[in-house]
Amino acid sequence: MPKEEELMACFNRASPALVEILSRLISVERPTDVDHCLYEFGSVKYHIQALALEPHNIYLSVSTPPLSPEFLLSNGLPNYILHDIKNMYSDVVELIIPPKEGFLLTMKVDVTKFPNNKDDQMKAITEISSIQAAILCLQLKDMLWNLGSQDKTNAICKPIKLVYHPKEPFFVVRMTEKITAIFPMRFKDNSDVVIATSFFQELMDVGYSSACAKVPRCTWSPIPPQELRGELFHHLTTNGGFVSFDIFPQHVKGAKVDKTMWILLNFYAYVKHYVKCTRAFIQRKMRQRLESMAEVLQKARIGGGEEDHKTLGIASRKGCSCVKKVFRLSKSQIFRKKIQTIRWRIKVKRLYRFRQRWFKILKFNSFRKYTKLD
Amino acid sequence: MANSLRSYLACIRNTLDAAMCLQNFPCQEVERHNKPEVELKTSPELLLNPILICRNEAEKCLIETSINSVRVSIKVKRADELEKHTGKKFLRFLSMRAEAFQVLRRKAIQGYDLSFLITNYHCEDMQKHKLIDFIVQFMRTLDKEISELKLSVNTRGRLG
Repeated sequence: MPKEEELMACFNRASPALVEILSRLISVERPTDVDHCLYEFGSVKYHIQALALEPHNIYLSVSTPPLSPEFLLSNGLPNYILHDIKNMYSDVVELIIPPKEGFLLTMKVDVTKFPNNKDDQMKAITEISSIQAAILCLQLKDMLWNLGSQDKTNAICKPIKLVYHPKEPFFVVRMTEKITAIFPMRFKDNSDVVIATSFFQELMDVGYSSACAKVPRCTWSPIPPQELRGELFHHLTTNGGFVSFDIFPQHVKGAKVDKTMWILLNFYAYVKHYVKCTRAFIQRKMRQRLESMAEVLQKARIGGGEEDHKTLGIASRKGCSCVKKVFRLSKSQIFRKKIQTIRWRIKVKRLYRFRQRWFKILKFNSFRKYTKLD
Repeated sequence: MANSLRSYLACIRNTLDAAMCLQNFPCQEVERHNKPEVELKTSPELLLNPILICRNEAEKCLIETSINSVRVSIKVKRADELEKHTGKKFLRFLSMRAEAFQVLRRKAIQGYDLSFLITNYHCEDMQKHKLIDFIVQFMRTLDKEISELKLSVNTRGRLG
């Protein structure tokens, strides 16, 4: 059985491919020239470079599309985001300014500064591999707090459109006391709509229960919420309705911020994952039920089920072994046996003895037989 | 089990018991052919009046009888969208695997969700009372399974 962590790999902050490449590069004994370029989710690009001349350094460059068209990153990341990243990875990482052409960020990873303990080493690698998630979270945080604080009156009215997955934009509305994230839900298949809708309704019901009083309030409505009034028509046409989350200051306090941001960015992916798993679950259940239903019909066959043996072979239970044998045989075998029985001579018990005693027949040579002449 | 369901299933059982007196009957139109008359409906004298048993507007069962075959069609209730979806999926799943149930028709007749076609050959091959048991149990399971699927999907949503 795969672990839950493996199943949820797409929601991990760290890129699995990057983790593997970095851990191989760090554990390699003979330094060689390595130049990897990999893409994730179609638009996230990583470039990993290790030179034999510089055995202690690994160069990692990252490029990710901007979350919002209003937040264009033509000249690399803003200084405050770079500063935050520097603080996060200060131990083993050095930022290279300006970054490589075509990338947002280039980092120099110092292998010698990695901890010797394997677990700690893995932890550090995972942290470095989650650089893309860190950039996105910092961008989002910046957009919600800094931009909003500059012009609060505008921020209340105008929702910010964010695009993490292409074709799946969502909106964030900053208000004085809360932030509302609104997700227009679109699905290709009608059956997905039904499953997702039931999920959203359950999510709403659970949110209203006392056990989940501290979690962000979730609301689902088939029509666009008021906050999206004035948005483009194609953003407001959905088949799965609109899911909104109300995020209050307590949900973004301290270390919770990163988690909340990551959950918001991955909400679409999570819903799709849920729908896919539910479809598989329904299929599995149906398959199980099919077997039990077909079994009933198999039992109905004459000579097919266990009960037939019981009803037809009452005598067999009492001990007649030949009857048992007959029930074990197939139809063709029974028929062949019957033919054989018909062809046998009629046997009368002890007739042979009786014949020997009373009807002694003299032996004579048959006329048909002949003796071979030497 | 609800009283209405019990009486509904009992009625279907009794009707099937009366209807399933089938015998071999060659086709009157084509030489050396033996076809289920309930499907072809070539000779009206070989057909009996169809019987419609309704539990409510949404749940009903149509039993059409002929000299050599019986066709049982059922319509299952669907309360909401999710039940409609799971029901549709389950019925489609069963129809696609009709070979597992020899008596199941691949395509249901119009207006119904699922159809069975029982011929005299099935009656020769299987025990009549068990065949009836199967159909009644099938209907009961279908109802239960659709409700269970809906509940488990909702529970998954709650846990998710």
